[in-house]
Amino acid sequence: MFELFKEKATFMSAEVHLFKSKAEALDFIKDFIIENAANKVSKSVVWCESQFLEGIDKDALQKELPQIEFNIDLNSASSAKIGINEADFGIAETGSLVEISKTAAKRLCSTLPEIHIAILPLNKILNNMAELFGKIDIRDIPYLTIISGPSRTADIERVLTIGVHGPERVIIAAVENF
Amino acid sequence: MIKEEIKKALENANLSGALTRFSEAYAVSRKKAYEGLDFEEIREKIASIKSYVAEHLDEVIAKFIDSAKKNGAKVFFTKNPEEVRSYIIELAKKNNVKSIVKSKSMATEEIHLNKYLKEEGIEVNETDLGEWIIQLAGQRPSHMVLPAIHLTRYDVSDIFTKKVEPIEPDIAQMVKFARKQLRRKFLAADMGITGANIAVAETGTIVLFTNEGNARLTMTLPKIHVAVVGVEKLVPKLEDVIPIAQALPRSATAQLITSYMSFVTKPYTHIDGSQKEFHIILLDNNRSAIAKDPKFKQTLQCIRCASCLNVCPVFRLIGGHVFGKVYTGGIGTILTAWTEGLRASKDIQGLCIQCGNCEKVCPGKIKIPELILEIRKKLTKEEGITFTSKAIFSVVNNRKLFHTILKTASKLQKPFTSEGFIRHLPLFLSEFTEKRSLPAIADVPFRDRIKKIQQPKYDKKAVFYSGCLIDFAYPEIGEALVKILNRAGIEVIFPQEQTCCGAPARYTGVMDVAANNAKQNIEALLSVEADFVVSACPTCTVALKTQFINDLQEQKASEKVIKEAKKLSQKVYDASELINILIKEGKIEFRRLPETAFTYHDPCHLIRTLNISKEPRESLEKSGMKLVEMFESDTCCGMGGSYSIKFPEISGTILRRKLENIKKTETKLVCTDCPGCVMQIRGGIDKDGLDIQVKHSIEVLAERLKEE
Repeated sequence: MFELFKEKATFMSAEVHLFKSKAEALDFIKDFIIENAANKVSKSVVWCESQFLEGIDKDALQKELPQIEFNIDLNSASSAKIGINEADFGIAETGSLVEISKTAAKRLCSTLPEIHIAILPLNKILNNMAELFGKIDIRDIPYLTIISGPSRTADIERVLTIGVHGPERVIIAAVENF
Repeated sequence: MIKEEIKKALENANLSGALTRFSEAYAVSRKKAYEGLDFEEIREKIASIKSYVAEHLDEVIAKFIDSAKKNGAKVFFTKNPEEVRSYIIELAKKNNVKSIVKSKSMATEEIHLNKYLKEEGIEVNETDLGEWIIQLAGQRPSHMVLPAIHLTRYDVSDIFTKKVEPIEPDIAQMVKFARKQLRRKFLAADMGITGANIAVAETGTIVLFTNEGNARLTMTLPKIHVAVVGVEKLVPKLEDVIPIAQALPRSATAQLITSYMSFVTKPYTHIDGSQKEFHIILLDNNRSAIAKDPKFKQTLQCIRCASCLNVCPVFRLIGGHVFGKVYTGGIGTILTAWTEGLRASKDIQGLCIQCGNCEKVCPGKIKIPELILEIRKKLTKEEGITFTSKAIFSVVNNRKLFHTILKTASKLQKPFTSEGFIRHLPLFLSEFTEKRSLPAIADVPFRDRIKKIQQPKYDKKAVFYSGCLIDFAYPEIGEALVKILNRAGIEVIFPQEQTCCGAPARYTGVMDVAANNAKQNIEALLSVEADFVVSACPTCTVALKTQFINDLQEQKASEKVIKEAKKLSQKVYDASELINILIKEGKIEFRRLPETAFTYHDPCHLIRTLNISKEPRESLEKSGMKLVEMFESDTCCGMGGSYSIKFPEISGTILRRKLENIKKTETKLVCTDCPGCVMQIRGGIDKDGLDIQVKHSIEVLAERLKEE
């Protein structure tokens, strides 16, 4: 199923990486931050609390990479270049991420920054939308988004252009042993 | 006035160029997008979900209101657009709202919300890139899904430079520019207004599809979110979202899925820790009246994908500024009649050429051409027809007079005729011959020629219904048919009392004349015993097969007449179909001749109403011809019966495109199965002086028959 997910997500211009463990995924994210948001002075990374961060020493992480901000508000999110959060599900058929957010913080990480990194537990990849609807009770969910690739427009001369109001890169870090 | 607008639109190369390029690419990519899915199955599901809602509208509305209220949303339902506007204005005032961001919403455009908000001194910013450009330019969207498709990058750069800040005409740069400019607006806004693509009654959820991500920001950043939702967006259950989610992006822009599908169910804690305000306004604006109309209720099956615009041969030439109001194109014509009143659709309804392309691709299974015809009928009833049309139809209504006039005209046309064509007409008639030559009326019509044909007596008999064009312009097509059917052992009978099939009256909405034509023909065609009734004009075939019955039922004709109409319908064959059967039965054989290359044009009524397209190709190939398909072989040639007389500029421009596609095949022969298409295409080829022949398939087949 991951293969299908990867194929479809890649088709939608998302970048998909698979990691054996959380540690491997964390290393990847750290390297990515260093490469894409090198300036340690500004808080250019917002990272939303999630299961992935459990057991990770956030203080140590912040010491290593001071550009990371865990406290998410309009200010930090709108000035960040990279937003990191954890997707609740993946949908193989369309290569989509499913993001369930009860508060705005998680959503801000995938709406405002130029780059969105979504951590996706491998066992959360579902076949299709019908399976998703069977797993959730939408009445308990204030806000759910199915995200398929980066923000895009073709409103000027029908030329496809990536990155209008939302992220111009969507990076999916799928993790096997979550 | 519409004539001038059409002229202006046709001369706007940016507009028709962009729309045409899009529609050409769309046809191909839409097909690809649906690969692996059963479109018929999907649209059947959508139609059944949405027709259920139309039938149970009050119930579904009540259910949605109940569910949404339970979720903590504030719901306001009204039939009146005025009340939607005042609700939003009051809400804005109460919360001291200074600026509003909006993501694309047709419902708010329908009620001209922005204008009223501005009058209250509230700043409104559209955030969908195309809508923002249009708003800055002070224009109207030219397409429901692609609002700024009529503008080039240079136009956009001009608009940005004048209204915002100077920017180079570079698309990527301009997109970044829009992101930066609108981000400020998002962050400063006190209220966000969205529409909804779907509203789920069972859960009180609204669903929004966007590619840009602007709806997410509109819903998330301001403290107040107002969603204005037309009640036709309702579906009963969450799983009903699935077929719409499959069809909407594929049909709209040939995408597999949009970047974002947002499901909003309840208010949540806002970014600043306060409670988010979530208002849903359900807008009726005459939709419940549509739901109660037995013919028009299917209009509510629309999912607003605009695929009817994308495949329309007329829309792609003139765009939504001419073809529509707020809602544009085919479905727009119908929605305009219902949301703005019948009169508002008066000019635009005439633009439909009735080719049927839209009906084939509509994910809601809406019979758009039929409904536009219904509007035409209503208008004819309410406003009458012009004096000239009345005079013409009173002639068509009287067979003897009509045929006498045609015979007289064949003598009078002499000064304008050469080689069977009329190439120039004087004065106000000149536009009819500007882009194509007209056929000259035959010296001797088919109805007189048939009397002189010596036919062997056969047991099997076919009544031939010629239609006006074969009878009076192309009698040789009729003669060719007699030759072929005789060869298959069938005698052809031509009842002299047959008359016009009623199409001109029917497609103008003059139904009493159409029904009277139907009656006369039924009587004439059933006056002799025969095994088949054959027509070689698909428009006539459709009339004989289905329209006569419909027209007579609608005109409340007697049971007896309707029964006769049904009896006739059973016997009717289009010649292309019958000949193909006879070939397959081995009753028609061909000579061995050198293989000749040809290209085939599908007549609208033949391919889309009668579902015949393989048969004529197969017959021609069996006769030893080699088919070279042209691009868009199934796109209308622009004839459309009297359409070519009402809108000669549009008709002529559609024809030009057809000719280009024909030329690209490099064949010297075009075959088709409709004398109307023969007239149109042959006229264009004569005008251009091209060395290409246009023939009815029957003529070609008759030439290649095996010698006896």
